[in-house]
Amino acid sequence: MISAIGNSLAENRLSLMEERCGIAVLEMFDSKYAGSLPAGEIKISNKDLKEKLFVTEPGVTRTTLLALHAFEEAVKDSQLRSAEITSDDTALIGATTVGGMCLTDELYRDANTDSKGSEYLSSYDYGSVNMYLQSRYSMNGIINTINTACSSSANAIMYGARLIKNGLAKRAIVGGADSLSKFTINGFNALHILSTETCIPFDRDRKGLNLGEGAAFLVLEKEEDCSGKNLYAEISGYANTNDAYHSSSLSANGDGPYLAMQAALASANIQADQVDFINAHGTGTENNDEVESRAMLRLFRTLPAFASSKSNTGHTLGAAGAIEAVFSILSLAYQEIYRGLNFKNPIEGTGLIPVLAYKKMFLQHVMTNSFGFGGNCSSLIFSRA
Amino acid sequence: MFYIHQHTCISPQQTYINTNLELLVESVDNQLKVIEPGYESIPPAVLRRMGKAVRIAVGAALSLLQNTTTDGIIIGTANGGMEDCFKFLNQLIRYEEGMLTPGNFVQSTANAIAAQVGLLTKNHGYNVTHVHRGLAFENAMLDAAMMTKEKPGKNYLLGAVDEISSFNYNIDYLAGWYKTENISGRDLYKTDSNGSIAGEGAAMFIVNNISTAANAYVKDVSMLHAVSEETVAAKLQYFLKENFKDDEKPDLLISGENGDNRLIKFYNTCESLIPEHTAIARFKHMSGEFATASAIALWLGCYILKEQVVPVHMIKKNSFATEIKNILIYNNHKGVQHSFILLSKP
Repeated sequence: MISAIGNSLAENRLSLMEERCGIAVLEMFDSKYAGSLPAGEIKISNKDLKEKLFVTEPGVTRTTLLALHAFEEAVKDSQLRSAEITSDDTALIGATTVGGMCLTDELYRDANTDSKGSEYLSSYDYGSVNMYLQSRYSMNGIINTINTACSSSANAIMYGARLIKNGLAKRAIVGGADSLSKFTINGFNALHILSTETCIPFDRDRKGLNLGEGAAFLVLEKEEDCSGKNLYAEISGYANTNDAYHSSSLSANGDGPYLAMQAALASANIQADQVDFINAHGTGTENNDEVESRAMLRLFRTLPAFASSKSNTGHTLGAAGAIEAVFSILSLAYQEIYRGLNFKNPIEGTGLIPVLAYKKMFLQHVMTNSFGFGGNCSSLIFSRA
Repeated sequence: MFYIHQHTCISPQQTYINTNLELLVESVDNQLKVIEPGYESIPPAVLRRMGKAVRIAVGAALSLLQNTTTDGIIIGTANGGMEDCFKFLNQLIRYEEGMLTPGNFVQSTANAIAAQVGLLTKNHGYNVTHVHRGLAFENAMLDAAMMTKEKPGKNYLLGAVDEISSFNYNIDYLAGWYKTENISGRDLYKTDSNGSIAGEGAAMFIVNNISTAANAYVKDVSMLHAVSEETVAAKLQYFLKENFKDDEKPDLLISGENGDNRLIKFYNTCESLIPEHTAIARFKHMSGEFATASAIALWLGCYILKEQVVPVHMIKKNSFATEIKNILIYNNHKGVQHSFILLSKP
């Protein structure tokens, strides 16, 4: 994985343990907001990413570079042989909401002029990211891209798990990638949900979210195929529901989030009180944090420890579900939980306080939430391997 | 896999109201644009905010959901609402990231279609959008196959949509996917040049695992990414072997042939591998080329199975089959993404 708090799984874990915040002033691309707006930016240029990843062909976007960076690490860590990667029973399910639209200015020129066209003509859409991975790794299994806004990569993980369960794949490489773009920065800004300060999920005085960028991939295999391999966790439950309330905000009762968490518990065949930790969606917006709190309080008689890692990475949109799935898995693998940053005062009426210090603790089941525009809500449950 | 109980389609042809496929609507300036109906089931205030892709997809979907409830919504779209996406993009650049209105941004996310259907039908169930370019709809079909197996007895809305906007037309034109010379859709298959004509459309289906009263049965879906016709041939041979016993054959091949002389080798290869007595029909002169055109082919397949008639202008090779029972669909997007779909009488 790669995010604003590290270029590898190990770096990300260390940053979480050291309570490091990756949100800083935007500086890597030409925007009116560069130099002022805080964002979870990965401070590596496209040129450096290309050199590091040996990408020499034209038309490769930052979203694809981040995806490739994370994909390479996941595949190496999983010890998959190259024959397994190219095998027709290996699926690749990736998610993105920005795709090649990170190149906002190039896209504008190519869409509005009849000149020759840039090198990116085939790279603007969502499919381009995984098409590149498919081609680079000569993959022959089911290849798919999912976009359910901010819950995209949680659904990619769920889809991969279902492919395996249904016998349509023997293994699945699942995850997501998104990069910062003028398009999303201005979109979220127009909705007045971007904070000009570092976000404070679940705090009374929260002022909105910070966008971030990153990518994460996971390799899923059946238990019986995992002997002798590096095992992090079991994916034991998942659910996808819809809030069916509004295109860009959640209902006051949080029906969608509640139903997603409830159905994920049922899918994992566990009770609410068996969940030891929740990696919350926790974007830091007025609407999300209040609604998510209410939905959690509706479902859990005693709320387990919870926190939002978006205070470390920013909101990485289509990558968030996968990045936070990896954080949940790290928690299980190392039996430790990571704190939410910057928190001072609980929201009036909910009184909920996220985890305020890194600590070691026994964890059997960890839930991770991802909610998005269009009411798309997904919850995943990972369990100790 | 799954049964189709209802199907509907808003396309450049008369597929939606008073269906008449014998009458061919011709392309204009190498583009085939949808014939839009009135949208009685969409509240006017909501309709005004919808871009074309959202409008036609939601309109088609709601027409199936008047008397049917579904457990989930599964949509395939390569791009979602392009029109909104570019409206927002143009605002953003022209006003130099100044005062922007969020409406187009919210509508431009690809999941806005499934989300709007969920919202307007108060559906809290499974809701997902597959966006894998030329295989977005096929992946949605595979998802529907899994869902109907996981939740027997439940209905799912399965569908696809993509639209032409002047912006994405421009981008694909610059990339060489549309013809530079102005042609008539009727002559699409006679041309010997790069590119095709642009198209758009939405097709929606109600599917489940119940055979009773079904219109059609999707027996298999197979996808591949390949640049050589040998790889495609091997996949088709395997697909035919898996799905047909010795005495069975597809009665009809619906071919995604699109007049692009770089892609004809794939279609010729597939035609050479199907039995001699299989008829061949084409549809891209009706729909134009777009990433989820295979959903239009699936709708046409449902229509043909039900009506037992193939519109004359679609026929490439006739056969003497007394009954059309099995339809094979082969589609190819931009020479890299390929799919085979097998549709049968239930």
